[in-house]
Amino acid sequence: MKTRFEVCPAADLGPGERTIADLDGLSVGVFNVDGDYYALKNDCPHQRAPLCEGSLTGLMTAEAPGEFEYGRDGEIVRCPWHGWEFDVTTGESVFNPHRVKAKTFETSVEDSDDPGTVETSEPASANAGRLDFSTGTTADDADTVDTPDNGAETEDGAATDAEATTEADRYGATLAGEEPPVDTYDVDVEEGVVVVYL
Amino acid sequence: MAERTHPGFEGAGADGELTLIDADVHQRWADESEIVQYLPERYRDDGLVLPTLLYRNPGGYFKDDEFTDDGGTPGSDLEKIVDDHLDRYGIDYAMFTGNSWLNLGAVPNRDYAGAVAEAYNRWLIEECLSVDERFLGSIFVPVRDPDRAAELIGEYGEHPQVRQVMLPGGSEVPYGRPQYWPIYEAAQEQNLAVAVHPFSEGHGVSNPPTGAGHPNNYIEWHTLLGTIFMGQLASMITEGVFVEYPELRVAFIEGGYGWVPHFMWRMDKNWKGLRSQVPWLEKPPSEYIREQVWFASQPVEEPERPDHHSHLMEMMHAEETLIFASDYPHWDGDSPVWGLPPMDDGLERAVRYENAQRLWDLPADPGDLA
Repeated sequence: MKTRFEVCPAADLGPGERTIADLDGLSVGVFNVDGDYYALKNDCPHQRAPLCEGSLTGLMTAEAPGEFEYGRDGEIVRCPWHGWEFDVTTGESVFNPHRVKAKTFETSVEDSDDPGTVETSEPASANAGRLDFSTGTTADDADTVDTPDNGAETEDGAATDAEATTEADRYGATLAGEEPPVDTYDVDVEEGVVVVYL
Repeated sequence: MAERTHPGFEGAGADGELTLIDADVHQRWADESEIVQYLPERYRDDGLVLPTLLYRNPGGYFKDDEFTDDGGTPGSDLEKIVDDHLDRYGIDYAMFTGNSWLNLGAVPNRDYAGAVAEAYNRWLIEECLSVDERFLGSIFVPVRDPDRAAELIGEYGEHPQVRQVMLPGGSEVPYGRPQYWPIYEAAQEQNLAVAVHPFSEGHGVSNPPTGAGHPNNYIEWHTLLGTIFMGQLASMITEGVFVEYPELRVAFIEGGYGWVPHFMWRMDKNWKGLRSQVPWLEKPPSEYIREQVWFASQPVEEPERPDHHSHLMEMMHAEETLIFASDYPHWDGDSPVWGLPPMDDGLERAVRYENAQRLWDLPADPGDLA
């Protein structure tokens, strides 16, 4: 019988984002890849580094020597210690997918057992998951997690004031007033929470 | 009485099996005029103007018992090579690797280097390989002029006893660079191996023989020959030579082999984390080595304890990668009988001839060379 863990409101984990959750003592990385959720044990099979805190990248392939093709951006996590690449969607390493894997867990988006959980999905508390993540990483790491889509354009309204400012600065946008335009967001709280089964 | 194998080695030479293939036998001319006669007219008055090794060996560079009857340089009497080496040790094939001091990779003028390479190849085919069908040839090329090199491979590579193209260990830029690929393409096309052998390191226009700079003494220079091979091999693997030319077979001769396990481990380890820089590699780097690269045994590694050598054999997959070489008639050569430490018969057969047979695609009988 698997144990069900509610990680965070689905609205708080937008595409391209991830969070690190402590699930009854087990550290697990939960990733949103283009709207689908994946969970990996935060533990590199090589030397036990916190795998899920590494940079998110894509898959580099080649048709021939000297050529490069980059694809699947955001679907590969690179271990923060030795750079081993793992497919977020399968847990398989890129260099030896059949024998070197990160453990994966089942995920889904479900109604919360505690209705209050979803109601907390307002800008202030929506940070919870990201704060968890940021405690384990540097600002530079966070840069690689964010994508330009995650700020003001977000449809789920999960972006916080602070993020909007950061994104605006980062991409050269200018705010209209002194206050971040919190009120202009079309806050459409998504139903459900991200659930991981261990 | 031929002293062919050490006591206890069973099976060699029986039932049509080979006895020994020697990957490194240095033949040379008795007199420079033998080569000069093949130079084009515009260079004939110049003769051979080649960078020479500046590191001195207090004991000389040759086996002193191999000077010819009239006092000539060892290796310059091909019949003596037959008597003293091939017949004495039951050698089925001996790969001629030429005179170490041609140093064509260190010659500044590319046209002249090409002319000397061609003169050498004509002399090799007309005056060396014709002496005995067991002699195999490595053709020389002007490595700094890869298109000319490829032409020479096409022109001289068809001779049935020519099985290899020789590249000097010392180069201007490492051998993985695409500028050299015409050489590999021509070699693969002609079914010739490519060998890297110490020549030119630190001479003329080549790089210093170590990454640390120019050694002070011959002992320092000679100890580090394997390091320049590591640089060449790392370049060939990472730049994708073995991906682009999957039938290419490459030998590293006279750089030792104790470094091979370290090199394979380190390259595989780094590839796991740095793979995206070389995404054309389709498998761990060590697998390209095991399938397409061979290492010659001389100068044989002599560890503290004999069993350490056995461990080394296992770690480098010697049953696939190691070939015997004597380096006849040089001072640091290894005896075909006593050079290699004891090993089990299966491994010894692989090292003595099976691996070299694959490297050079050789028939069991030299009479069947075509």
